[in-house]
Amino acid sequence: MSEAKIKLNTEWLSVCGGCHVALVDLHEKILDVMKVIEIQRSPLLTDEKGYPPAQIGLISGSVRTSHDREVAKKMRESCDKIIAYGTCAVYGGIPGAALAHTAEDIIDRVYLNNPSTDSSAKVVPNRLVPKMDAKITPLDEVIDVDLYLTGCPPHAAYIFDALMSLVNGRDPRAKTESVCAKCKRVMKKTNQSEIKSVMAGMPDEEMCFLSQGYICLGSVTLNRCAAPCPQNNVVCTGCNGPMPQILTEPNRDIRTEIAARMSAMTQIPSTDIISEIEKSAKSYYAYAMASGMIRNKPTFFIEKWIEEVEKV
Amino acid sequence: MTANKITIEPVTRVEGHGKVTIHLDDNKQVTDAKLHIVEFRGFERFIQGRPFWEVPVTIQRLCGICPVSHHLAAAKAMDIIVGVDKLTPTAEKMRRLMHYGQMYQSHALHFFHLCSPDLLFGFDADVAIRNVVGVAAKYPELAVQGVMMRKYGQEIIKATAGKKIHGTGAIPGGINKNLSIAERDEFLKDLDQQMEWAKGALKIAKDYTVENIGLAKEFANFESSHLSLIREDGAMDLYHGNLRAIDKDGNKIFDQVDYQGYHNYIAEEVRDWSYMKFPFIKSIGNEDGWYRVGPLSRVNTADFIDTPMAEEARKEFMAVTDGKPNNLTLAYHWARMIELLHSAEKIKELLNDADLQGEDLVVKGHRREEGVGLIEAPRGTLFHHYKVNEDDQVTMCNLIVSTTSNNEPMNRAVASVAKKYLSGVEITEGLLNHVEVAIRAYDPCLSCATHALGRMPLEVSVIDDSGNVLDRKSTR
Repeated sequence: MSEAKIKLNTEWLSVCGGCHVALVDLHEKILDVMKVIEIQRSPLLTDEKGYPPAQIGLISGSVRTSHDREVAKKMRESCDKIIAYGTCAVYGGIPGAALAHTAEDIIDRVYLNNPSTDSSAKVVPNRLVPKMDAKITPLDEVIDVDLYLTGCPPHAAYIFDALMSLVNGRDPRAKTESVCAKCKRVMKKTNQSEIKSVMAGMPDEEMCFLSQGYICLGSVTLNRCAAPCPQNNVVCTGCNGPMPQILTEPNRDIRTEIAARMSAMTQIPSTDIISEIEKSAKSYYAYAMASGMIRNKPTFFIEKWIEEVEKV
Repeated sequence: MTANKITIEPVTRVEGHGKVTIHLDDNKQVTDAKLHIVEFRGFERFIQGRPFWEVPVTIQRLCGICPVSHHLAAAKAMDIIVGVDKLTPTAEKMRRLMHYGQMYQSHALHFFHLCSPDLLFGFDADVAIRNVVGVAAKYPELAVQGVMMRKYGQEIIKATAGKKIHGTGAIPGGINKNLSIAERDEFLKDLDQQMEWAKGALKIAKDYTVENIGLAKEFANFESSHLSLIREDGAMDLYHGNLRAIDKDGNKIFDQVDYQGYHNYIAEEVRDWSYMKFPFIKSIGNEDGWYRVGPLSRVNTADFIDTPMAEEARKEFMAVTDGKPNNLTLAYHWARMIELLHSAEKIKELLNDADLQGEDLVVKGHRREEGVGLIEAPRGTLFHHYKVNEDDQVTMCNLIVSTTSNNEPMNRAVASVAKKYLSGVEITEGLLNHVEVAIRAYDPCLSCATHALGRMPLEVSVIDDSGNVLDRKSTR
């Protein structure tokens, strides 16, 4: 090949690693990708430990430690375009629950007050290990980000599209559409009068979960997954993070949007739905609570909601 | 007193972020070396207060490398919570298929994508080619096999769990889908080819170990106890069983222990220099009670394997050590490939079982307050323990992930290799990679390991007399 390959650097911050595995899940397409892109630095795949210059930088994970902050900056300096890759990088993801618990609280649970840990000596890790930040921070609160690719992890098709759009200098094809766009279920007005627990039994496979009384986050969640959960008769838990209008409009929120839709399709009062979502706020805001656009809303009181449920 | 310290950071071609520090005295002799886990997320706390039924879907987010293991271990604990001691045949077999698919893809990922560059090119080969891209250039057929084997395993996970990573198939008391005839036939079509490739991979790992037995005997070799689940008849069982621990000679420390009482047998020690705890067998104590888990331990603890080709491979493996436990760190690769073939054989057995098309998916029972779920994850025994209140909220979650059990062994491996290969010599990148090769043999999942306290950069730092840290690049 005469043309030089596009160089790719990847890095992971506070992370589960799934987004990097999803890259490998391009399967045989990764071999096509490798014809035009050189995977120059990737902690999962190569031994390059520095940050040589690259055109594309993929960063997965959220920022939890000073180390995360430092390497994110090194990636920014070394890469022309930075992709915030995966829900944790974009919105903070599940580790964002750190918003609701202090480090002391977590350390107590894990090291001091734990059924299989010998805590008689009261030892906790405090030497030669970095201190945690008080909170989890999405990537763009630390460095400038050029592209956002959310998903837990993103579906391979969107990863391929993102990389190829950068290689070919075009816009990504991914649209701003909700998970409902890929869900085949039919919305119906029903007489359902109370919220159903997912433990109640098997849901109807054809009808919209909201019509049936199940709280499903598909309509407020960005589609970067092609809707596998509703296709397998499982409600959407919002793992790709919220739709832009949820983020940008101060009066719209996950709970108000779901309550409005669900109460319109059933006989369930919207106040019941709002209060159910607040009761399990840690679940319904699981993926995005660390994002400034959610946590700074004047109507968002997650610490209070969690305290009400968890205080003994 | 002066001290020199080398840092390798991050440790690469492992799943997650880790760091190694190596201390040298003034004569450049290695005095100590440690593997540190330096990050923390706090899932045990995050999960509290959530409804128990979402736990199998949420908790797996602590690890994107082996999410199926966490998904299933949590589901098994939640089976206990909903009062179910026996699943329907369809549910149990669908979960098993999901698990063997996971084992297959994970072992293939580790062997082909992560560690094969060390075995094929040498521990100190050029860093620019010592990776999967280099393997693809020099051994294109092998690279394609690795890619296609992973794909096969991941597609099985997708068909059973709904998604390749972070799926939703297992629910408390059962499973939410069966396998269609069309899906089954699709998998059967490619199975013979997969089986051939699995046999080929086993041969590579076996030949490598046998041909390099001298190296294997001096490289991070130390005796240890081993722990795994075991079936009631003593067969290897990666999905379910009771706990068995053996000592270095193969004597049983305990056997057929019901894991609901795991905390009577296993405890964890906290050391102030690592976020990862140090588990030990209680009856032996925290000094000497440490043990290994994972493929090597499972092949060592099993009386036999119930699939013919893997059993034949097990016998060959055990013959090397005259039937005694094999304690060689580098033998992990061979043991892992025996399990790869075993998983392929199990997948075949399950695909030909009509129970997978059954309609009876979920059982209900009488709610309980506490449940423990164990599974043999690709990297070893995985413990999930939960308490749930009458409002269905989780009030306590305790996890001992596979890599945590290998904490002490990996530290011993690191110290052994550092002392043997790095003392009194000019330290090169290739020599430092030896340390990483020892860690890689355990296939540590540092994402899992840091579920509790974040991420684990694998970092080797060398510090000079003045306390200046020379990073890894400066040692090239």
